[in-house]
Amino acid sequence: MTHFDLFNLAPSVDLDVAALETQHRKLAMEWHPDRAGSDHHARRLAAEKSAALNDAIKVLKDPVRRAFYVLELKGVKLDSDQSAARVKMPMDFLEEIMEQREALDAVKATRKLDVAHVMAVKIRDARDKTLEQAQRALRRDDVPAATTALGRVRYYTRFLEEVDAFEEELLS
Amino acid sequence: MKGYLQIHDPLKPKGSVVGIDLGTTNSLVAAVIDGKARCLPADEGDGLLLPSVVHYADNGSVVVGKYAAQLLPQFPHDTIKSVKRFMGKSLGDVETKKLGAYQFATGKGVVRFQVKGGQPVTPIEVSGEILRQLKRKAESYFAGKVEQAVITVPAYFDDAQRQATRDAGRLAGLEVLRLLNEPTAAALAYGLDKGVQGVYAVYDLGGGTFDISILELIDGVFQVKSVGGDSALGGDDFDRAIVQKLMTARGISEPTPQQVASMLQLAQGAKERLTDSETTTLDFEGTPFPVSRADFNEWISSLLAKTGASVRRAIKDAGLTVEQVKGVVLVGGSTRVPAVRSYVAELFGKPALADIDPDQVVALGAAIQADLLTNEARKDEVLLLDVIPLSLGLETMGGVAEKLIPRNSAIPIAQAQVFTTFQDGQTGMDIHVVQGERELVADNRSLARFRLAGIPPMAAGMGRVQVIFRVDADGILSVAAKEETTGLEQKITVKPSHGLTDEEIEQMLLDSIDHAEDDMQRRMLAEQRVEAERLLMDGAKQLKENGDLLSADERKSFEQQLTRLAQITRTETDHEALKAAITEVDGLARPFVERIMDRAIGKAAVGHRMEDF
Repeated sequence: MTHFDLFNLAPSVDLDVAALETQHRKLAMEWHPDRAGSDHHARRLAAEKSAALNDAIKVLKDPVRRAFYVLELKGVKLDSDQSAARVKMPMDFLEEIMEQREALDAVKATRKLDVAHVMAVKIRDARDKTLEQAQRALRRDDVPAATTALGRVRYYTRFLEEVDAFEEELLS
Repeated sequence: MKGYLQIHDPLKPKGSVVGIDLGTTNSLVAAVIDGKARCLPADEGDGLLLPSVVHYADNGSVVVGKYAAQLLPQFPHDTIKSVKRFMGKSLGDVETKKLGAYQFATGKGVVRFQVKGGQPVTPIEVSGEILRQLKRKAESYFAGKVEQAVITVPAYFDDAQRQATRDAGRLAGLEVLRLLNEPTAAALAYGLDKGVQGVYAVYDLGGGTFDISILELIDGVFQVKSVGGDSALGGDDFDRAIVQKLMTARGISEPTPQQVASMLQLAQGAKERLTDSETTTLDFEGTPFPVSRADFNEWISSLLAKTGASVRRAIKDAGLTVEQVKGVVLVGGSTRVPAVRSYVAELFGKPALADIDPDQVVALGAAIQADLLTNEARKDEVLLLDVIPLSLGLETMGGVAEKLIPRNSAIPIAQAQVFTTFQDGQTGMDIHVVQGERELVADNRSLARFRLAGIPPMAAGMGRVQVIFRVDADGILSVAAKEETTGLEQKITVKPSHGLTDEEIEQMLLDSIDHAEDDMQRRMLAEQRVEAERLLMDGAKQLKENGDLLSADERKSFEQQLTRLAQITRTETDHEALKAAITEVDGLARPFVERIMDRAIGKAAVGHRMEDF
């Protein structure tokens, strides 16, 4: 059963998130172990269904995760390092991202969060544009183009996560 | 034993369920009565707040609450305060040392306090005593059994701390229906009382812990978006900040345990007075030490800044901005401090809500949740969707922590990951479960280690082990590992290395049941002794008044019987044996008693006749 099946939806990169969340609340009410009474087996089953639901909403709510998931349903799994390594990225892209990472490391050494934020804004912008490319490719069922685009999104996302981790480090 | 003599009222619900706020400073018990949550008397003298203080006396007896608190300055080693800070911790762990004048038993694993009157006690047992007292008071309130409870924990509690809390409940003879996050409980109390909707923040500053939760309330679903906080930051630290200044001012560098305890108590008083007045003075060892509110605010400003960092992180984790937060709820006694209120108002750009007593709000929410979980009629009213506070992961190569379940994931949740063997012919795999946000395993909290053995030898990378993490609705983790080619499987409920094993818990439960039997034995013996004393007194009295009814031999024999009984009463420790002796003397005295009765009737008849005239 796919995450989309749980919500009775056809696989798609386009979702009405508000409607999805309303439906999630309805299903959560129905399936939560607290509603399953005291029977051990029923509770266990409810816990499993709730866990599946929680997993599904997490993926579907987020446009980035959702795009990766739609691609996965089309047979390309990019979520592990091994499988992603098989996607050949253009050399110039890799060089560009490498430079950005080095710049971020330098900023981290000086502990300048605002500079890191400026870099993150640029990267997020690039990520969003690339994500749109991926979404367009997925809509027309162009798996190779979607794979290349999401391959890039992966690098951008990693970069943004690193900025988050840096911010957290400074906060604590 | 109060309930022993009370008559059960059939109109009162049997087996009532309660909500318990097991706090660092105070603990409370609440229940939903006639559809409304309210706190029940918890301490002797029926105060609602039970100071979370436990005193162990020489004779092995245990005192909980305000009387225990009074004993603290005199017996700093044997009186445990703020035990919550030790829950799920090992001796090596903490700031354990700075937390009081305790003496710890040496040894690995869980912290043990060396106290008077017996074996060293663990924080779980100490918390168990607090829970037992709350259970007892609730039972006497309801005049019936209380066996199920929702117990609250700081949202930021890790797996070890949660398990320790659940174990404490078990020790106190409570079935823990749910471990509920404190801020969620508070939101529940507000949400149901005030009918709020939208995104709310709960800022909970207690005696020893700080929690922040961001929740969304829509259509009866309370969805926790993110939680954060600091499990070792609270109002106690405000007291300590004052003590530090006092020590500097007096040039005290190595205070005695008694001095520490007394300074902390004075500091707490000063802190509370500064809520309503601008200046105060604390009198330590006969010399006054003045403190102004401005001083105090400055001393605690770095502590407040720490809470601000957690708040910003939690809002960010929720994917929200501070402007989207519709209201802030204050929880915990430490939010009475004016500097805390103004800091929170500034942080959120709006004054905080505090119309429900911040001391009671968590217990009230817990009672509501207990009612929701057990009351069939309310089942569909509200649902709580909570999250896990800290990321859960596994140790991978090079001591790196790989996260399987990131923090703030909604629970219940299950997540699987496949690991491959890295050596030819490898037959086992070590699974090391960790909790925390840091990159390296060493910086995170180690929850458990186990080994999946029996993997058939194959080439490196061919053996595939699937590890599944499951987190239940209480936020407690269980881990299963399965080798995919053979189907070989191993499951464990993660028992933290600094917790107690199931065997230890069982033993403690058995011990407490043994003690209950001892107590019962002692009580029955005491009752028989009273019975024997009464018989001896009656016997002596009758010999004196009616001894002429007996022959010399009879009298001598009866006196001997009484002497023997007097001796048995003093020395016998088995209540059954004493009871048998009493019955025997009673039987032997029977002919004597009959003669006395005859005489009495005669007297009465004579009396009557005389009166008639």
